[in-house]
Amino acid sequence: MLSFFKKVTEYAKDAVGAANYLAQGLAVTFDHMRRRPITVQYPYEKLIPSERYRGRIHYEFDKCIACEVCVRVCPINLPVVDWVMNKETKKKELRNYSIDFGACIFCGNCVEYCPTNCLSMTEEYELAAFDRHSLNYDNVALGRLPTSVTTDPSVKPLRELAYLPEGCMDPHDIPQDKSRAGKLPLEVLELMNSEDNSNQKDEKENQTVFIKDKSEE
Amino acid sequence: MNIANSTELICFIILGTIVIVGALGVVFLNNIVYSAFLLGGVFMSVAGLYLLLNASFVAAAQILVYVGAVNVLILFAIMLVNKREELKPIKGLQLRRILSGLVCSGLLILLIRVDLTTTWNLPGPNAIGELSTERIGEHLFTDYLLPFELASVLLLMAMIGAIVLARRDVLVSDIGTGESADQILIEKKKTPILIDKISQ
Amino acid sequence: MTVLVASVNSGIDIELSFNEALKNVGVSPEIAHLLWIPFPMGLVLIAAVIGVLVTVWLERKISAAAQQRIGPEYAGALGILQPMADGLKLLTKEDIIPARADGLLFTLGPILVLVPVILSWLIVPFGQSLLISNVGIGIFLWIALSSIQPIGLLMSGYASNNKYSLLGGLRAAAQSISYEIPLALAVLAVVMMSNSLSTVDIVEQQNGLGLLSWNVWRQPVGFVIFWICALAECERLPFDLPEAEEELVAGYQTEYAGMKFALFYLGSYINLVLSALLVSVLYLGGWGFPIPIEWFASWTGQSIDAPLIQIFTASVGIIMTVIKAYLLVFLAILLRWTTPRVRIDQLLDLGWKFLLPISLVNLLVTAALKIAFPIAFGG
Ligand code: SF4
Ligand code: SF4
Repeated sequence: MLSFFKKVTEYAKDAVGAANYLAQGLAVTFDHMRRRPITVQYPYEKLIPSERYRGRIHYEFDKCIACEVCVRVCPINLPVVDWVMNKETKKKELRNYSIDFGACIFCGNCVEYCPTNCLSMTEEYELAAFDRHSLNYDNVALGRLPTSVTTDPSVKPLRELAYLPEGCMDPHDIPQDKSRAGKLPLEVLELMNSEDNSNQKDEKENQTVFIKDKSEE
Repeated sequence: MNIANSTELICFIILGTIVIVGALGVVFLNNIVYSAFLLGGVFMSVAGLYLLLNASFVAAAQILVYVGAVNVLILFAIMLVNKREELKPIKGLQLRRILSGLVCSGLLILLIRVDLTTTWNLPGPNAIGELSTERIGEHLFTDYLLPFELASVLLLMAMIGAIVLARRDVLVSDIGTGESADQILIEKKKTPILIDKISQ
Repeated sequence: MTVLVASVNSGIDIELSFNEALKNVGVSPEIAHLLWIPFPMGLVLIAAVIGVLVTVWLERKISAAAQQRIGPEYAGALGILQPMADGLKLLTKEDIIPARADGLLFTLGPILVLVPVILSWLIVPFGQSLLISNVGIGIFLWIALSSIQPIGLLMSGYASNNKYSLLGGLRAAAQSISYEIPLALAVLAVVMMSNSLSTVDIVEQQNGLGLLSWNVWRQPVGFVIFWICALAECERLPFDLPEAEEELVAGYQTEYAGMKFALFYLGSYINLVLSALLVSVLYLGGWGFPIPIEWFASWTGQSIDAPLIQIFTASVGIIMTVIKAYLLVFLAILLRWTTPRVRIDQLLDLGWKFLLPISLVNLLVTAALKIAFPIAFGG
């Protein structure tokens, strides 16, 4: 009899616990409703890509020395470097260069290793096409510069979450000159320089403290 | 004849036709699923007939029990065990058919006779309409208490039987170990009630 | 069945005045009655469809808010016309019957699912006599009618000639059968307290003291059981196994398109609104204002039969019922985005091993309390 009551109590406890968890879950969902939608109304609003965004690759034909380093470092040997040896000058003559963005994984290896810096990554990500063959960009297409989101008059640029001012969650209606949370790389550099100066002074003191710590152990 | 009466008559004729045609369909159709669905239709029109008789509680109970439970169960069974089987030809089918035809027509003649000899137009009790629910409850718990309880005990027995049949732990045993198979092996260990009898 | 659409205490009887008007033109009263019949039917359809449109819009908007999206925005102000656009789209879509499907049953299935749900709206009261028909068996009619639905689901599942549809149909039928029982038991406890199956009587019995006399306080367990079972009957998200996308594509709706699919869609939302309305009728005092209207009337010194007060009561009744129902719909949508889908064995476990015993105990306790405290629990 007692064990039966024990079972019933346990059962009731389980049920109450389940109801409790459910209520907590509901509270979380309910709390989400008062937050602002994070929707970006895409064709009219666009996020500003970050500085290191790895988008479509830009290529400068005139800088290229046809060394094929980019082909070797590419995981799938993607770039096509079409050159011929000019017997007279004993130099490579570049005829054509192309990258197929239907196959590229935007890893950035080619950009990293190019000895002449003729490759670079842009912030362009709208590569949709009706035909996959038109994703194979030749040197002319690769040489085009993308329209920046911030300069396009038909688009409202929005800052990404990490670039919003402190305490601000909504990218709409933020004054242009308001700086992002935290420090810009330049400011960090300045800070580090000034710290370096003061650190040099403190160095001696620190060292003695350090030695003291050791001896205490 | 006023409009209320004629609408009642029209409804009765429609429902009656559905019941008869549906019942014939249940018996004669080759596709068993169709038969089952038609059976549901027949049950529903019977409920409609009850409604015409001002017995709305009985009508609702008819739908709840027969359409909602019995017919759905039949459909379940059909859909879960939908195996096409080649039936063996039966010997002496012709004779059997004639015999069963004779029995059926005899029954039919009997029914027709009863129909003709009975005076139907009795001044029955007045319809109590909405009050019928209460009246049914009263009867169930006073003068019909014993049949009511007996029926519930019968249902309980049927339910326990179904549970025993469905949990085959006692009946099937593992060939290798001699332990009872299925549920026991899956669930926790417990001593089956009838294992001794089987091993003996 | 008496057909009544009138204001409180039959002070303003629309049917009567309609019949009078026709009689004055020279139509016999019987023909007038026949002419009257389509009106309540049309009213039910319109009310149900508008309820669904609002619910669909709410569902989309609230879901969007819960996920920090915007939701429909361009069709009308705040996307209010989006459900209409959806409906129109479904209307103009091609009506496809799959090649190896059973055409007759395939067409009949959605109808059998939708019709009982719409019929059940007959018993939803929005005021003392603001309902289509005050049937004596009231709430029992709803339980009986909703048991027809599984037949339609099985039918469409079978007729689609598709294994996902068949599995979905079987699951739906199994689910609604197993949750019908605790649902009926929960309703039974309420019925026991109000001594009547009629929805009007059930609400009347709760409206003595306003908020304090609502059934939630007397039947908290029953309320929870009823709501869980109602969600399961509507196949709402914690219990939407019959159309679980990951396993069954779309369950019994897989092969449906166009208007036939729209019937399923409509049916499920009408059912949701209906369940919410019935919860508010059974447990939340139906059309009752949290403070009894009579007190308000006596405070202003008006008699309860004054036409102005009557119109006021009627409109408050409708508004209160709708508000309560939509609060419950809101809860259902919140639940949809909070709880994950249960597995089929968990679903049946919950139904048979949890809700059924608890609802039986609830029934027993209610009966005992009714005998012990007849004043508080209905004599
Ligand atoms: S980004 Fe990576 S994948 Fe694309 S071309 Fe350069 S190395 Fe190859
Ligand atoms: S690595 Fe740079 S320079 Fe060399 S072939 Fe590639 S793009 Fe030209």
